[in-house]
Amino acid sequence: MRTETLPALDEGLADVRPTARAPYRKLLGTATIVLFAVLIPLALVWAPQDAKQGDPQRIFYIHVPAAWIGFLAFFVVFVGSIGVLRTGKRRWDDIAASSAEIGTIFTTAVLITGPLWGRPVWGVYWTWDPRLTSYLLLWLIYLSYLVLRGYVPEPARRARYSAVLGIVGFLDVPIVYLSTRWWRSEHPTQFVFERGGLPTEMLITLLVGIATFTVFYAYLMTVRVRAGRLQEAVDEEVFS
Amino acid sequence: MQNLPPLGIHLQGVAKAFGRQVALRAVDLDVTPGSYVALMGANGAGKSTMLKVVAGLVTPTRGTVTVGGVDMRRAGPRLRAMVGYVSHETMLYADLSGRENLSFHAKLHGLGRGTDAIDRAADRFGIGSYLDTPVRSLSRGMRQRVALARALLHDPRVVLLDEPFTGLDEAAAIGLTETLEELATPERVLMVTLHDVARAMSGPRRLLALAGGRIVIDRPLREADDDVAASYLDLLRTEVAR
Amino acid sequence: MSWIAPSLTIAGKDLRLELRTRDVIASVGLFVLLVVVMASFSFPTTGEGRDAVAAGVLWMAFMFAALLGMGRSMAIEKEDACMDGLLTSPAPRESIFLGKLTANLAFTGVVELVILPVFVVLLRLAPAGGVPLLLLATALGTLGLVTVGTLFSAIAVNTRGREAILPLLVMPVSIPVMIAAVKVTQAAFAGGTGEGTVAWVLLMVAYDALFLLVAIATFPYLTEG
Repeated sequence: MRTETLPALDEGLADVRPTARAPYRKLLGTATIVLFAVLIPLALVWAPQDAKQGDPQRIFYIHVPAAWIGFLAFFVVFVGSIGVLRTGKRRWDDIAASSAEIGTIFTTAVLITGPLWGRPVWGVYWTWDPRLTSYLLLWLIYLSYLVLRGYVPEPARRARYSAVLGIVGFLDVPIVYLSTRWWRSEHPTQFVFERGGLPTEMLITLLVGIATFTVFYAYLMTVRVRAGRLQEAVDEEVFS
Repeated sequence: MQNLPPLGIHLQGVAKAFGRQVALRAVDLDVTPGSYVALMGANGAGKSTMLKVVAGLVTPTRGTVTVGGVDMRRAGPRLRAMVGYVSHETMLYADLSGRENLSFHAKLHGLGRGTDAIDRAADRFGIGSYLDTPVRSLSRGMRQRVALARALLHDPRVVLLDEPFTGLDEAAAIGLTETLEELATPERVLMVTLHDVARAMSGPRRLLALAGGRIVIDRPLREADDDVAASYLDLLRTEVAR
Repeated sequence: MSWIAPSLTIAGKDLRLELRTRDVIASVGLFVLLVVVMASFSFPTTGEGRDAVAAGVLWMAFMFAALLGMGRSMAIEKEDACMDGLLTSPAPRESIFLGKLTANLAFTGVVELVILPVFVVLLRLAPAGGVPLLLLATALGTLGLVTVGTLFSAIAVNTRGREAILPLLVMPVSIPVMIAAVKVTQAAFAGGTGEGTVAWVLLMVAYDALFLLVAIATFPYLTEG
């Protein structure tokens, strides 16, 4: 048996162009904490109470940004998937897979905060509203992506297979939304959320929420993708 | 046979890993047209992967494979039409007859129903008597013969055979040896995986031996080259000892 | 176009195999028939929404048929490495996909055409003037389902769970075309076009076209080793 030692992990990364140098990651991490520190009082105290819905409405400041990230993350999965197929480089697969994992978390948060919001305000946990339904489907597609990855042990194949699913899944999402919207529009029991004319304070809080979650997503991505890169460097050792 | 330039095979820095399992490491190989190469090595040494890489079934993790100067990653129909490949598995539809399998292959290669080619193959491999029975009901040796007939049906210029002698009885083996001798002309390239050193001596003109995914022996063969046999057997002993 | 001939050759080979073994149509057909019969026991004989429930049940049955058939079809290529035989042949990767797609459409279509009259009779539906629409819905919906399914079956067959994972991959992604198919079928059962039926049909056409292109473009990447 050979008794070579593996080079230090950081050495192995010399020729892997890092997207997440330590300063970026730390910066994003700090920014996340700061933004949350701002968001929480804004959402809980500063934003005015909704006239019709009362305090439960405040979940909106988490629910909507999380929903936005759910879509953003899936778009990144799409971009990563195309990268995998076009270049065959593992770094794109890292991006796609990381975004899928993180996106699933945010999407789950949407599906949990939705009913939490719905129950006190409208009296039901769930409704087949187009947005919620498409969100449920998005969540299912995310899950099928993750399950598929678990079923393919070989990394190169796993990357290609999930890439195809990522591409098909992403292109499907708008179609899912359209079709559930038409489907439900034939039934009048749709919950309309009056988006028009949000009071300025609510709007500001919402925007802060979106910014917070976006930065949080970016931070999580840098952490997860770096872990993937380290893994890649270790795996490359298999050839020496 | 069309008037095409002779095809050679070229591997440069080819490595292939399936996850953590490395099948080939940094292989450089040049096989000129007219070569008849015996590919040997212990099980797991990388012979099958090497042939699959040349056949374009497996993309190397690193390095490039070219056949006739064309990267196999971008091989088009015309290049693939010139390759004949036999693997461990038969690549035959078990519920169809040998004739139906050959006919399907012929159609994919633009040979129409290929009746002439099939008849010739039937003669050459002695499969005429069971060509119309479902492959499922044939013995291992019979299937192997049909598989060989299929691979050579379209008169390929690049012949890649992975353990073609497995399952063949002595008569069939002699027949195959002769067929390969006939095929080894200046316009063709043959790479054949073998386990039997004696067979390597009767026909092939170059011996490649792999161990641990690398080429460890690469030398020309002449009749009754005891030297080569000895070095190959040494290699196997070292492999076994590991 | 050099895609057509190999596709037809491959589809023809699948057809020949199926006629020889009657593998897919027999087992799938019987299974789906049983599903339909069982469903008809629990079926409301009158009332509002009957057409909608009927359409839903029908498409569930069609989906079972398609999933079973497509899984089996790719599994055949996995046996004895026959897919390697196709990949080393001059047939373009796209033709391999189109050939399998055509064969899958044919098999699923046959099962559907048997199920439909049985369904209509058992459930005492009266589509009358809606029959052309019913056939259109069946054709477009099946095309969408089988396009995505054939693509994913090339993935499924190479995973640890083999074909078992195919429904998990296909179902979420095919929801839009399924909803549309059910809606149009429902209108057909009611005897004619309902409101917005045209929109649903257009959705199916768009879905089918989009994913056919995506499948043709991405299939070659699934066959790399």
